[in-house]
Amino acid sequence: MSNVLSIAREESRLWLRSRLALFALLIFAVLLAAVSIATSLRMSEEHRERSEQQALAEETFLSQPDRHPHRMVHYGHYVFRTPPPLAMIDPGVDSVTGQSIFLEGHRQNTAMFADARAGADLGGFEGLTAALVYQLFVPLLLIAIGHGVFIREREENTLAPLLAQGVTGNELYAGKWIALAGVTLALLLPLAIVSAAAVVRGETLLASFGVIGLYALYLFVWCGLILLVSAMVRSRALSLGILALFWLASALIVPRMAVESAVSAMPAPGKIETDLRMQAELREVGDGHNAGAPQFMQLRANLLVQYDVERVEDLPVNFRGVVSEVAEADVTEVMNRFAEERMEFEVRQARFAESFGWLSPVVAVSAGSRALSGTDLATHHRFLREAEDVRFDFVQGLNRVHAEQLAYNDDINRSLNEEANRRTRMSAENWNVLDEFSFQPAAADERLARAGTPLGMLSAWLLLLTAGGVGAARRMQP
Amino acid sequence: MSELLRAKDLTKAFRSNTALNGLNLSVNEKEIVCLLGANGAGKTTTINLFLGFLEPTSGAAIVDGTEVTADLKRARSKLGYVPEQVSLYPTLTGLENLDYFVKLGGGHRDESHLRGLLDQVGLDQGAADQKVGAYSKGMRQKIGLAIALAKGARALLLDEPLSGLDPSAANEFCRLLRQLADNGAAVLMATHDLFRARELADRIGIMKSGTLVEVLSPESLDQAALEQIYLNHMHDDETVEEA
Repeated sequence: MSNVLSIAREESRLWLRSRLALFALLIFAVLLAAVSIATSLRMSEEHRERSEQQALAEETFLSQPDRHPHRMVHYGHYVFRTPPPLAMIDPGVDSVTGQSIFLEGHRQNTAMFADARAGADLGGFEGLTAALVYQLFVPLLLIAIGHGVFIREREENTLAPLLAQGVTGNELYAGKWIALAGVTLALLLPLAIVSAAAVVRGETLLASFGVIGLYALYLFVWCGLILLVSAMVRSRALSLGILALFWLASALIVPRMAVESAVSAMPAPGKIETDLRMQAELREVGDGHNAGAPQFMQLRANLLVQYDVERVEDLPVNFRGVVSEVAEADVTEVMNRFAEERMEFEVRQARFAESFGWLSPVVAVSAGSRALSGTDLATHHRFLREAEDVRFDFVQGLNRVHAEQLAYNDDINRSLNEEANRRTRMSAENWNVLDEFSFQPAAADERLARAGTPLGMLSAWLLLLTAGGVGAARRMQP
Repeated sequence: MSELLRAKDLTKAFRSNTALNGLNLSVNEKEIVCLLGANGAGKTTTINLFLGFLEPTSGAAIVDGTEVTADLKRARSKLGYVPEQVSLYPTLTGLENLDYFVKLGGGHRDESHLRGLLDQVGLDQGAADQKVGAYSKGMRQKIGLAIALAKGARALLLDEPLSGLDPSAANEFCRLLRQLADNGAAVLMATHDLFRARELADRIGIMKSGTLVEVLSPESLDQAALEQIYLNHMHDDETVEEA
């Protein structure tokens, strides 16, 4: 063990004395710190802004004057997806999926106000996040520092004296591994600081440690690859070439291939075609605006029988309100079915793309990072479902007010005169049917479970590369 | 006198080329054996087989009773090695290099002891604290010898350690080797330098195409006779490239 530590210490000393390595380390440290701080500030500003917007939207809804309840159904309400604390590291799909939804009766609107549009004038630089720097650029630094760890010993003929001193190939491998891992851990310091800041803002320790652990595992995969290549080839140029090629494939080609393959293996049904299909079903169900529509004849007959009356005017409930309530439930069932189909399809596509993590550690780490940070597709889907629950609850709450508190006769005669119209205005106290909405990240253990497959992929990469490296080091001769 | 290095029918073939063919040789304590021969005669291959850098095709390399392939670590722990070019870490000082290699070899690392070793091999204290990037070849060879000394190696393997040294440095180096041998070390040195071999060695082995063709006692030969014997053997030598 003492030999291993001596080799590690000596390797680190050589790097520290090499101005190039030190300079590169400093540049990356500054880049990491700058990007981490910038992303942290941006996401905490986003969090503050969206929380304020959420509160303002709720206040605006609740402060509406007395109105006809169905007007409130269409007045609508906004919900905002506040970014989780770990979005400071990895904003994930936040910038491309939209962060707020306008909720109203009979419709499921798509999320809007994506960062990608808002930040278009920044030339894409706002997209440089700590996650991206760790996923793409830190491996480059490790390659620059470590591609020659074994080759240097060969080229400078120090391998023979080392082995002659009784150092084994495995000790040499372990020493170099520890040295490179030491650099990796030092580079993880900014991530640890941002993770600690996330804990201060309410993130769990488990999730924060999970993110640090994931990136450590990912960068150790690169250490394993760098050591394997350096142990196997005999020239620095070749080692650098192989590693640069792997980086290019892993960071740029395979992720692109993953997306393209997912799209071509599982082509998404056209939006227009899907919308038309859904609209046709919605038309059959009816949105409840026309209580006399044929879809509601059976409902009318059932109510008359239930309350043993001859005319809807004699019902103890407002037939139009009941129609709205029933129609909203039916419409929602159709919309939810289409939404679930779409989300299930998106999940299948995403899983297919993520399976390319077996080919590229970058694909694996980005999937794991989004899952642990609470900024993945599953989180966005949960936001859509929770937003839909809010929409359905407040719309049905208003429909119940419509059915139970507004007389049918007043309702159908509201256009006769101002007085008739006034009688259909329900008290603003009824707008309290709106629940407060505060989007929270999933529990840490749930996120950890979602990151299980990427963690497994990275562990497999590490095991495979370490086994290869140990094998190559054992056979190493001057 | 105990036998510290022994080659027993030691053979190494690289595909169709036999670099070393059934070598039988032993080096006892307090003895210096020099191997002479043209490039590719099998000298470096012999040393690499003792160091375990190469696996023998057949036969055995034995260090102080330990067969190298059976227990490489134990065999290496008894060996000191000085190559033709002692390669050190250029950003470290001579003392730091010595300290590092001694640490890996499990030797005594007290600074005054290490400085004493450097003094013993003739490296002055000022040079010990300089980075070895600025060292001459002779200074590097001295560090190499100091590493072997610090390890307390019982057997020394030297692969053309004198090449490129100026006469004064070569004399100094040979004096140190003699001193080590007198203190009990077994020294096996590959060299092209007939003069130094005759001055230094207790026995001289002449190698040709992977075979030990003659073992001479320098005491019985003058320089001219040694040269003649050597040239006679080299005359029709077919060199075999060593790996």
